Amino acid sequence: MLELFLQTLLNGLLQSGIYALVASGLALAVGVVGIVNFAHGEFVMVGAFLSWGLMTALGVDPLLGLPIAALVMFAFGGLTYRLTIRHVLIAPELNQMLLTFGLSILLQNLALLFFGGNTRTLNVPYGAVSVPLGELSVGLPKLLAFVLAAVLLAGLYFVLYRTSLGRMMRAVAQNRRGSALIGIDVDRVYLIAFGVASALAAVAGVLISVLLFASPTVGLVFGLKAFAIIVMAGLGNLTGVLWASVVLGVSEALVQTYVPGGGGWSDAVFFLLIFVTLVGRSWRGAR
Amino acid sequence: MRKLALMGAMLALSHAGAVKVGVLLPLSGPSSVSGQAAQNGYRLALDEINRAGGVLGKPLEIEIEDDGSAPAKAVPAFVKLVTVDKVDFMAGGVSSAVTIALSGPAKQYDTFMAWIGAAAVPVEDAFADNPYFFHYHPWAYYNFEAILDMFKYLKRSKGAKNIAIAYEDGPFGSAGINDTVAAFKKAGFNVVLTEKFKTGSGNFGPIVSKAKAAKPDIFYWVGYDTDAQPLATEIKQQGLNVGLLYGTPPSWPVGFEKNSLSDREAGLSLWLSSSPLKASRDFVAAYRKKFGNVTEEYFAPLAYVNLMSLAAAVNRAGSTDKDKVAAELAKTNMDTPFGKLTFSKSNKIKYQGFKGENWLHFQFLNDARVPVYPIKFAKTPLVYR
Repeated sequence: MLELFLQTLLNGLLQSGIYALVASGLALAVGVVGIVNFAHGEFVMVGAFLSWGLMTALGVDPLLGLPIAALVMFAFGGLTYRLTIRHVLIAPELNQMLLTFGLSILLQNLALLFFGGNTRTLNVPYGAVSVPLGELSVGLPKLLAFVLAAVLLAGLYFVLYRTSLGRMMRAVAQNRRGSALIGIDVDRVYLIAFGVASALAAVAGVLISVLLFASPTVGLVFGLKAFAIIVMAGLGNLTGVLWASVVLGVSEALVQTYVPGGGGWSDAVFFLLIFVTLVGRSWRGAR
Repeated sequence: MRKLALMGAMLALSHAGAVKVGVLLPLSGPSSVSGQAAQNGYRLALDEINRAGGVLGKPLEIEIEDDGSAPAKAVPAFVKLVTVDKVDFMAGGVSSAVTIALSGPAKQYDTFMAWIGAAAVPVEDAFADNPYFFHYHPWAYYNFEAILDMFKYLKRSKGAKNIAIAYEDGPFGSAGINDTVAAFKKAGFNVVLTEKFKTGSGNFGPIVSKAKAAKPDIFYWVGYDTDAQPLATEIKQQGLNVGLLYGTPPSWPVGFEKNSLSDREAGLSLWLSSSPLKASRDFVAAYRKKFGNVTEEYFAPLAYVNLMSLAAAVNRAGSTDKDKVAAELAKTNMDTPFGKLTFSKSNKIKYQGFKGENWLHFQFLNDARVPVYPIKFAKTPLVYR
């Protein structure tokens, strides 16, 4: 009984690593650039296909291909910013949303066009390896994903709070015009932030390709959950992403294990959490 | 210029009055592997039909639309095919949820449907009174008879007694789950776990943890190809020790055979490319010639048989009159890669094609799908534990 409970907590915790990785990129885009990127899930999907492509075409292991995918997506994110996002930054929010929603549809359909709707799986030698933790066991890929997510998030926080680039990012996030007045190249900061957000999505995509598969719709679920996480954390609040991911991952695992028919309900958890968070905030605001 | 216009006019005239078949398939979404396999089957059949003179003296035309494995996308696509493209017959159909959603428009437009998939019992209920609904795929209860028969064999020969069931929460997985559990219990099995999951979510950690605590001999799952790898991964990673992992997705992920995670997992198929039947060997040869490879997905030959039998029925009827074509299609008696195709009553519909006798159980062994049950078709003994 206790073993099942501990294994459930462990499952939830490990799942939250992937959620945190996807959500941190989205939080960066929302928090620094100030744009709600509806195509973030599709950026994850592109990362998954890059991983699959590198493995099948060149035989590159996904973990080794991870920096390549991140670099490619950084460049892709930068290009997307330059060509599209930059031009709607001062436009009404609806225009921004329509733009990123359009990007999402475009990317998904391009993937369908080039790769078809098939599920692409990766055959990695460590796919079935498990690490025993006493009576419990953890899949090596999931553990690696969790550790990598923790390291990358720690790195991201370090950059944000201990480097001049991070200070510039936080300054731009707080006051764009004020930052420009004190000499910060706001456009460059936006480009870097959006590029890093895209690279984080790619890293998540690579890990998802190992844990699950690559398909044109693989990013959709993770994109939705990332929205739930940044709503819980507070829009643009990067430090809140980690605990919100853990809350979502562990809640889902507990519902799956202890609620009868919980497997069907677990995906409703994030809607419930969004609802509770928003209602709670509005009550607090009213007082 | 005048020559070109004349050629265009002649080409248009040659196609005027051609029989048109609308094909609705999941080319994207959870059932896309089946949908794409079926698309190839239709293209192969179309080539053969038109090489042999077409239908009613004209080349047969097919219009393929993607239903996205989603009712919301399927209904407008169906209505477009019927009302804008004005197809004479509808074919295709893989997902049960999609097909249930189509039952309304099908009644509204009195559409002739030669349907290849959609095995869930609610589909049978939805089309029970439809005089133009021909269903080729065995219903879920036929599938289940085949599965139960194999599990009983495992009980006799290997002592398998405890079953864990994981099923997706759509109509494909959920319909009839209570009957499934009752039938297992009646056959003397202990159903130690019954858990539902959301297809495509990939989050099987808690289900596998619960299964580990329940100690099943057989882990039986009903879902789609998107669930195969995440579930197999989780089972291996958590070290769930089961006698047999058995899944019944309509199709498996592309290249799953070559993935070490698939090793010893078993499943159900209406057809395997290694089938010794002549019609099957002919199909495999024609498929290889056209596409340069061999498919393992049974929806490819099923779609092929679907269009071939429909075209033959229209030719025999001598017109596209629905009643005449239905009467001729009902008389079908043709050799197919699955064995003989005839239509007879099922529990609720008038025209049911294949039934339980066509199922084969296979196991992923040495990078291939190897038939293991029924014993008379087995190429190697089933590997248990």
